[in-house]
Amino acid sequence: MALVPAPRSAINAGVSSRSDPLVFWRGARDALALPAWIVGLSLLGVGSLARDAGAPAGMAVLSTVLMWAAPAQVLLFGGLLGGAALPALAVAICVSSLRFLPMTMSILPLVRRPGQRWPVQVAAAHFVAVTAWVEGMRRLPNLPVGERMPYFFGFAGACMALSAVLTLAGYQLVGVLPIALGAGLLMLTPLFFTVALVASARARQDWAAISLGFALEPVAAVVAGRDFDLLALGLVGGTAAYLAGRVGRRA
Amino acid sequence: MSGDAALGPWWPYLVLVLVGFLPNEIWRVLAVALSRGLDENAEILTWVRAVATTLLAGVVAKLLLSPGGALAAVPLAARVGSLGVGLAGFYVLRRSVIAGVLLGEAALVALAWWARAGAA
Repeated sequence: MALVPAPRSAINAGVSSRSDPLVFWRGARDALALPAWIVGLSLLGVGSLARDAGAPAGMAVLSTVLMWAAPAQVLLFGGLLGGAALPALAVAICVSSLRFLPMTMSILPLVRRPGQRWPVQVAAAHFVAVTAWVEGMRRLPNLPVGERMPYFFGFAGACMALSAVLTLAGYQLVGVLPIALGAGLLMLTPLFFTVALVASARARQDWAAISLGFALEPVAAVVAGRDFDLLALGLVGGTAAYLAGRVGRRA
Repeated sequence: MSGDAALGPWWPYLVLVLVGFLPNEIWRVLAVALSRGLDENAEILTWVRAVATTLLAGVVAKLLLSPGGALAAVPLAARVGSLGVGLAGFYVLRRSVIAGVLLGEAALVALAWWARAGAA
């Protein structure tokens, strides 16, 4: 961060705000070409699960808009269906969403403009989820700094809008879908997470992180317990992957 | 879903905000504060990215090992097997993400169907 705040005019100079809507729609169009459909369809499964849990349709759709985290939504509605205690459910959801801390921290410096105010940053952070993170980390560095923010909002906003519609569709479709298809919809999240991670892996650090995450989760579940396994896994596995990557960069 | 009678129809939305939204959103807001002043090329972000990638892979492992809803009715071997099919499809079909996801999905639905037919 600059020690002396730049004058407003200087901040806006490299930004060309006139083209913002254009860049926004380009982001939305790129999302609707495929990525938005994958998240959307995985939330179709969440919509069905919410109906099974006896939640109202509005709660199902709002969970997509407010939470924007398929695994946490599965935990919420699965927990309500199973009659879990609400405080325990809140803790489980909190721990499962820990990934948003490192994900948001690593993408925000790419997205924001110099001198960006914090309400806009909090708004951008709300849209961070796997799709926008994986695709953003890949696409944003190639864009001019001034275009990244509107592109990100367009891309992630289109993902969320389509997903909200498909959550409602999944809610209405429950009972119509055979169990095998319902299982297929819930499988979309782990399947897409994995293929997207593998597709965007370049350096040794990425491969180490993916392998360690998979291999250590069952171990962490036993050693650290079902509540803190992800925390332990992220710190230990992530640090090991980082160190492996450093060795790779020096060699 | 059981509800508090006094809140009536608003109860599910209170649950959503308190149990679903807030515990989930706290990490995103905390990240805004913690990333203040960090340049996109900062070395610490390389470590942060490694932690994020490991966590994502861990979430996948967790979803496969202890799934919710209809996926729990599918045997573990079918869940892991379809993930393998998806990855193989990704590599064989010119690193296409959509091809990998579609093939993995087809494998899971087919295996789930077959497992249920076998059980019936």
